[in-house]
Amino acid sequence: MTQFGAKIKKQMLANQWSFLLLVVVILSIIAGAVNPRYWWVGNLSNLLGQISVLSLAACGATILIISGNFDISVGANIGLSSVVMAMLMRTGVFPPLAALVGVLISILCASLIGAASILFQAPSFIISLAAIGVFQGAALYVTQGTIQTIYGQFETLGGVKLFNVLPLLFIVALLGYGVVYYILAHTQLGRCVYAIGNNQRAAYLAGIKVNRKKMFFFALNGLFVGVAAMLLLSRVGAAQPSTGTGIELQAIGSVVIGGAPMSGGKGNVGGTFCGVLLWGVIGNALNMMRVNAYIQDVIVGLLIIFAVAVSSLRLRAEKAMME
Amino acid sequence: MEQDNQTEILAIRNLTKRFGDTIALDNVDFTLFSGEVHCLVGENGAGKSTLIKILSGAERLDKGTIVVFGKEFNRLAPDQAMELGIATIYQDVELVTSLTVADNIFLGHEIKTRLGRINYAAQNRKARETLESMTIAIPETALVESLSPAQQQTLQIIKAIHINAKIMIMDEPTSSLGVEETRALLDLVRKLTAQKIGIIYISHYLPEIFEIGDRVTVLKDGRVVDTQKVRSTDLRTITRKMLGQDRALFYKRDHVQTREIALRVRNLSRRGQFEKVSFDVYRGEILGFGGLVGAGRSALMNVLFAADRSDVGEIILNDRAITPKSPREAIAHGVAMIPEDRKLQGLFDLRSVLENIVIVDNETNVLFLNHRHESVGVSDLINRLHIVTQGAQQPVGYLSGGNQQKVILARWLLSKAQIFIFDEPTKGVDIGAKAQIYDLMVQLTQLGKSILMVSSDIPELVSMSDRIAVMRNGVLVTVFAAQDVTEQELLGSFLGISEHGRGNK
Repeated sequence: MTQFGAKIKKQMLANQWSFLLLVVVILSIIAGAVNPRYWWVGNLSNLLGQISVLSLAACGATILIISGNFDISVGANIGLSSVVMAMLMRTGVFPPLAALVGVLISILCASLIGAASILFQAPSFIISLAAIGVFQGAALYVTQGTIQTIYGQFETLGGVKLFNVLPLLFIVALLGYGVVYYILAHTQLGRCVYAIGNNQRAAYLAGIKVNRKKMFFFALNGLFVGVAAMLLLSRVGAAQPSTGTGIELQAIGSVVIGGAPMSGGKGNVGGTFCGVLLWGVIGNALNMMRVNAYIQDVIVGLLIIFAVAVSSLRLRAEKAMME
Repeated sequence: MEQDNQTEILAIRNLTKRFGDTIALDNVDFTLFSGEVHCLVGENGAGKSTLIKILSGAERLDKGTIVVFGKEFNRLAPDQAMELGIATIYQDVELVTSLTVADNIFLGHEIKTRLGRINYAAQNRKARETLESMTIAIPETALVESLSPAQQQTLQIIKAIHINAKIMIMDEPTSSLGVEETRALLDLVRKLTAQKIGIIYISHYLPEIFEIGDRVTVLKDGRVVDTQKVRSTDLRTITRKMLGQDRALFYKRDHVQTREIALRVRNLSRRGQFEKVSFDVYRGEILGFGGLVGAGRSALMNVLFAADRSDVGEIILNDRAITPKSPREAIAHGVAMIPEDRKLQGLFDLRSVLENIVIVDNETNVLFLNHRHESVGVSDLINRLHIVTQGAQQPVGYLSGGNQQKVILARWLLSKAQIFIFDEPTKGVDIGAKAQIYDLMVQLTQLGKSILMVSSDIPELVSMSDRIAVMRNGVLVTVFAAQDVTEQELLGSFLGISEHGRGNK
């Protein structure tokens, strides 16, 4: 390998972000070459809108994964809380109030998973897996499986673009990133996220109220998920029990691509942002290049595997140095 | 080479093994004859386990040769060792407890029918034969989880016989056994020697050596001090050799005399671990806790730090009875724990030196971080404790054992603890850092802090402690003043040997 190549490799291993951004830039250049409309303001603005919901789900997942926990019921939770919001709006409840009720339901759902996981000392992964059925069943029951449309009632959040460019959705997502960044970097709570994820026993022995903190992480995740459900509802103008399905895996994927190990203890929100951006850019770029929709799924999957491979190689190299 | 008509089946020559900077084994020579019980003794960390691991293929050797049945080896792989007939019976029973006795005996080399299924009938019959030949009354169809620890230990030996082991290494086989069970095991060992099997026998219970040993080798600091026929030596000689005469590494410390009691413990008990333990600790004192591994010392410390609960008893700190329910509450009372297992119980190895140091202090005082204040405090501690690191932001997992220990100590200095519990303070710490940690401990006493120090390192106990409490089987048997006790007396007291039992209650 040339010296330059070695240097690039070193840089990529040293910093997850630079690698992800590099991939994003390369993809954009290719997409732009194939279809110049990729660079049109309209498309970029659309791209930002597309990644906003995922961004919020990934914000919650960032805190949970770094603290060594999982919630894979996020999609079902979005389904339940968004149909509740939509149904309330349809019955004439003041939309912001309806949205608030939905967000509270989401917080409750996520907290229940945390509580069960702590109480039964069971992995939250499995508890939340089981919870998917509970949430989806509840959503199906209240809606009787019907789609809840609210066209025209709750469009501001999803429709408004500042200066005709920046979607309001994306501003909310940025706010979410900001909150997570501030917690992780500037509060003792953030230190507890890392400490509990790295070594729960040692955290307990250092005087950290591990269970109470974990409860809080789950509730916080519920807040992010609830807001994500609200954004999604506003953007789409309708909700059904299957709304949000699969978003949890994209969110977890973004966090892991962003450099956090699945076992927790490390990671940051900048990495998550890059992971989300990569995910959004791949989808958008392939569309702009008019790749066959079925082939798109294949390419997305392969690119994600590639990104995960690089980040886990990086983690392994680091671990080897520690021993 | 012949001895009493026995042939030499194993010879280790000039064996050297290093772990980083520390020499675990230094030019070790060791031989074993068929039908012989060769005892291996030494303090914790003398190199016994390393030697076993090399013989069983779990560790590689750096230098030297191993000759097994006349064949010379420069390294042994685990499967090679097994093929040569070397079997290790570890302290922790290594059996599949959900399978039967016969299944375990044949595990990995099952008898199969022509169709490739396991022939249970044949296995059970053969297992029965083997068990009967050694007159062992364990049903071959019993599940291993239903067997007593002693029976499981025996089963491990049967397993080894079954694969035709000619060299058996037994690591503290009687440490978890009662008197009767120990006798039965020693009988079994005699039967094995009658079948010409050579046995390397490791035990902390020195009297056992005189019951079954033919020869005894004393290891100290990775070196063979002496190999003797058991007949021509005695307990006193062996203990003296285990401890050695080398005083160069001894720490000379200043003693801070106060008669002000900081902590009283009265009748503290935790079922199955320790019973009715009472003692006082003075301000500025280091109270050492000696005893064998499993005597209940660490369990006691865990209760004092409220990581575990006591069943009954009182803890009185500065004349006030306290009942901490969690480490958080113990910390609030000024109790600090420097645990034996740093990696598992103390460190956040992925996190920075800074985060590891400030975690406890921030947890009780801070909601929003003050990064400038933190980094000033931490770089001050890094300098004061001579922590060798590339900087406050380096993940603590990259640091050496000694520096990791200092990081944990720094954590408690920052949070202004009053009572410091050190569980094996210098375990896995290199010699340079060792002296620095001792210095810090003395500085703590000069500041009026009190230290409880559990240590299995006898010279460390004697040179660092003001007084030494000895625990045996969960009971605090005696407290020695460190300046009037010899290491032999101390070791005798650990083992419960009456001839050294001066001061025993």
